[in-house]
Amino acid sequence: MLSLSLSCALPGFTLAVEARCPYPVTAIFGPSGAGKTTLLNIVAGLRRPDLGEIHLGGEVLFSSVKKVDLPPEKRRIGYVFQDELLFPHLTAEDNLRYGYALLPPAQRRFAFEHIAELLELGPLLARRPGQLSGGERQRVALGRALLASPRLLLMDEPLSSLDQGLKSRIIPYLRHIRSELGIPILYVSHSVAEILELTGQVVFLDRGEMVAQGDFFHLAHHPRVLPLVEEHGFENVLPVEVLGNEAERGFTLVRHGAHQFKVPLCDRPAGSRIFIGIRADDIILCRTRPEGLSVRNYIEGRVAEISRVGGKCLVYVEVGKRLAVKLTAEAIAELGLEVGQTVSCLIKTHSIRIGPEVE
Amino acid sequence: MFALTPDEWVALELSLRVGLCCVLVSLPPGVLLAWLLARRQFRGKLLLDGLCHLPLVLPPVVTGYLLLVVFGRRGAVGGFIQDNLGFTLAFNWKGAVLASAVVGFPLLLRAVRLAIEGVDPRLEQVARTLGAGRLRVFFTITLRLALPGVLVGALLSFARSLGEFGATITFAANIAGQTRTLPSAIFTYLNQPGGEEGAARLSLVAISLSLAALVASEWLARRLKRG
Repeated sequence: MLSLSLSCALPGFTLAVEARCPYPVTAIFGPSGAGKTTLLNIVAGLRRPDLGEIHLGGEVLFSSVKKVDLPPEKRRIGYVFQDELLFPHLTAEDNLRYGYALLPPAQRRFAFEHIAELLELGPLLARRPGQLSGGERQRVALGRALLASPRLLLMDEPLSSLDQGLKSRIIPYLRHIRSELGIPILYVSHSVAEILELTGQVVFLDRGEMVAQGDFFHLAHHPRVLPLVEEHGFENVLPVEVLGNEAERGFTLVRHGAHQFKVPLCDRPAGSRIFIGIRADDIILCRTRPEGLSVRNYIEGRVAEISRVGGKCLVYVEVGKRLAVKLTAEAIAELGLEVGQTVSCLIKTHSIRIGPEVE
Repeated sequence: MFALTPDEWVALELSLRVGLCCVLVSLPPGVLLAWLLARRQFRGKLLLDGLCHLPLVLPPVVTGYLLLVVFGRRGAVGGFIQDNLGFTLAFNWKGAVLASAVVGFPLLLRAVRLAIEGVDPRLEQVARTLGAGRLRVFFTITLRLALPGVLVGALLSFARSLGEFGATITFAANIAGQTRTLPSAIFTYLNQPGGEEGAARLSLVAISLSLAALVASEWLARRLKRG
């Protein structure tokens, strides 16, 4: 298990983190410039913090008190960067073998072939980085880090340079790594959706300060967390149970508590549990149920809270979990919205994003 | 007209030997200093940078004079070398190597430094997280990726050595068969009555050699840019 307790002065603010990461995947979330990458560099040994301690599985990697500072090559921590940083003068195979070859055979945790198969690297081995696509390069970078048999894997926005289609093709590989290889992962991202594909355990960073740590669903409405999450368009994420696919009528029916949602047709078997995502900007509130609209989802709930942060207003509607709805101050005044009222949330089927399966 | 005399062959052979040795002698300190200047921050970096580039702008005769002061028989370093290692530098071909190495050093340094600065330091960081120590990273990543620039620098230093005259003649003199390189031989011809033909012949040799070295380095530099 990784445990951190450190501080490091950066231009403009001080990075201060106290965290323990006993989970298979811990995500570090925060806006750009929050100190996420610096934190990873410190854990990897590429940057020295001013004060503190870093422990990994009982070993001291850094301690300002005991004067311990293991160099990166002694830490056995894999690092996958946003831009893959493959060695341009080596073929994909030689890139993969760079760390692997430095390791005494007895310390190798995975066979070369195993990783090559897991990440489907076979056809890429003879190529040079310049001849690989973005997604292929990222898979090679992943494989290269894994073959060095790391005790911990650091990933710094590994998907942010890829387009949406490629992202969804890499994520299954990350889930394989998590479930099959048993290497804990520290995953930096500023995309909630991406994080939730891998884990619910999140450390929230803002300007170097650790704002909160724990389960995303418990923390998403935390007053200091919400503005961070909001910045990139807040997405409500609900765990739901699939009730059935209505292929001809064009939707899949799911259930969250007592509420049913018509979501885009997704061919998941009835009974499976998945996450759905609904952006706070995509929900319309109404006091009385209107007629003649094409909207498929009318979800009734009780107004639990109205929050005004700066000029932004968020109305939380209790529908089992709380749905955050973004409205203008004028709309709130015109509807006379108050805490305790019953309202309907109008949500287009195709505004709902199908997320990963709940584990 | 185009056949070289035995003396001229000696001068050509000496020029090539001095050029080659000059490259071999300058490469290790050149690469080390280039790495220091490209990757490290330290006090006096600007001064060191300036000192290394000084031979580029100093009159070569001044460089030669300074070499005599420092590396001459009675110079601080020259005396030490003579007493402890048993050889002298001034007025022999080793001196010609030193003189052209010093004069060509800024060219080598600049090319290598640019090449090292062109290597993404994060590639070095990745290599370290993969378990490679500093030295291994330097040789397998930094130097390997900077190699085309190192070759360009070596060629430039070689070409500069072929053309070196002022510092060499001051520090190593113009001794036939020992320190009389191509430029010195041409200079000697020009000071002799009827030496014009020999001077023209050797100039052609010098032009061809230098042009070949420059074209080779330019060709390498272009390949480097294309990656």
